[in-house]
Amino acid sequence: MLRPDINDLLTQTGPGTPMGDLFRRYWQPVLHTDELPSDGCPPVRVKILSERLIAVRTPEGEYGLMDEFCAHRGVSMFFGRVENGGIRCPYHGWKYNADGQAVEVPSELNNSEFCKNVKLRSYPLVKVGDILWAYLGDPDKRPPLPTWEFATVPSGQTFTSKRLQESNWLQALEGGIDSSHVTWLHGGGPTGAGLEADPLFAGSKGNQYNKGDLKPFFEVVENDGGLLIGARRNAEEGHYYWRVTPWVLPNFTMVPPRGDHPVHGHFWVPIDDENCWAWSFDYHPTRDLTEAEVSAMEDGAGVHSKNIPGTYRPVANKDNDYLIDREKQKTGELFSGVEGIAIQDSSLQESMGPIVDRTKERLVATDAGIIKARQKLRRAVEALRDHGTEPVGNIPEHQRIRSVAIVLPADQPFVEGIGDGFQAREGVRQTTV
Amino acid sequence: MALPISVSACARAATAEEAAYRIDYPLAHARSTRVVAFDEKAEETVRSVAHGPWGQAQFYTTSATGEDLFTLDGERRPMAREIEHSDSVIMVGTNLLDSTAVAEVGMACRARSIMTAGLLLLDAGPLSGNTLSAIRPYARILLVPSDREDLFQLLRAIRA
Repeated sequence: MLRPDINDLLTQTGPGTPMGDLFRRYWQPVLHTDELPSDGCPPVRVKILSERLIAVRTPEGEYGLMDEFCAHRGVSMFFGRVENGGIRCPYHGWKYNADGQAVEVPSELNNSEFCKNVKLRSYPLVKVGDILWAYLGDPDKRPPLPTWEFATVPSGQTFTSKRLQESNWLQALEGGIDSSHVTWLHGGGPTGAGLEADPLFAGSKGNQYNKGDLKPFFEVVENDGGLLIGARRNAEEGHYYWRVTPWVLPNFTMVPPRGDHPVHGHFWVPIDDENCWAWSFDYHPTRDLTEAEVSAMEDGAGVHSKNIPGTYRPVANKDNDYLIDREKQKTGELFSGVEGIAIQDSSLQESMGPIVDRTKERLVATDAGIIKARQKLRRAVEALRDHGTEPVGNIPEHQRIRSVAIVLPADQPFVEGIGDGFQAREGVRQTTV
Repeated sequence: MALPISVSACARAATAEEAAYRIDYPLAHARSTRVVAFDEKAEETVRSVAHGPWGQAQFYTTSATGEDLFTLDGERRPMAREIEHSDSVIMVGTNLLDSTAVAEVGMACRARSIMTAGLLLLDAGPLSGNTLSAIRPYARILLVPSDREDLFQLLRAIRA
């Protein structure tokens, strides 16, 4: 249960809100590079943290992200003409450069003098990996560029997708932290059929541990950038099988690996208070992804989704009841009746309503990871608001992290047993079972 | 592929407008919670939280064997009787915790299918492997390390 004011504090991310201010201390993924595929290509509308923006790529190759609406009459610059040096509003010909600075106002006699005072709010938009990242905060507080491993390995080793989730970002994030749902929703419940049915999970020894122990224990451990959430199952005599999920503030989670399959994870990025982008990635630290793996990812396997062509809205969505198959639900072939991990999550998280009323919750002790994460978020928000304290998670030391799957002696703290297995290291394979 | 389009209850039910029609009624305290401090340092934290706005939560220290619990007023009560009607037990300890008492309470909870959570505090220094080994088998979820605020928030969240 959360008090209503705390629920509001954590879920509202628009300009001027405390949580919005926190998000504005981080680089956030905004676009795939192929959404602005070439120099001088058409602009793209972007909505993030409740701000409507337009992203441009000039003929000279410069990226820009600025207020969507022309300063003159409020026309959407989506209809603008991308020209050398920027974008021009088609209504009266006002032209802006990639920084949002007006450079031509044809109706004005003293054009250059008038332009000096006309600037659309703009933000830096930079390419790291196959993603364009934006920073919407105070320029003086801008952190180093993102160093997440999935975005910095060679492009052949990584795959990223995104899907629209029609719920507040916190509902989606909490799904990423809530390890106790995996056995049921994704694991196929008592039958345990779910994991082996997915080509991006099948065949790992860890799946056998999962099936052999349906009531895992959990440990939630403080980490510099957030939390480490360990799910512990019985393994061979005197040993535990650990699956450890890192959460880095405010909205990054990773899924523990299985065998030599690629490692996956998510960013949960607020679009506005009732929608978010679920960015999903798969990468392998030491090898290229295979054609079969990429094909499966493009087809919506693993943590990805099959989207309506030309959009990022999943084919299975709330308008069609997520294509729930009651027969497969009945037989246990699909425990929830919904196909695919991503849609299994979104179907339930969206069903809670756009912003779930957390005053009505009945949490249990195994929800302690979620409780702790909310507490850390709240503390970070209040520390920034009240004392200007810089939040964690926006520096390379916190971002070079990995999820882990490992078998350890029963008396060993998993943090100690895993050691530098949590650290992203170039050329070193992930720690996995 | 043809896109499946159908009239969907989900599409309506997931709107903010429809959320307003969810039945609104007061929820009872869901948990009959027992909070047990397993050493002196943990007792300080438990005492500091015990005066909160709790419904049915009860707070204890424990005897060395774990067979008896003590209320914070010092009244001795048989552990088995105290947890009999509980549905969750929160075990609070530091590096000083008594593994015998933890095992006794933990096994009693397991035998009665009572949910357990463990909070390990740093009030007596860094946590050792022995401390972890002592509590791990009995705490379904363990917060490592944790503090007074964690205990407060956990109790609030589960409506103790």
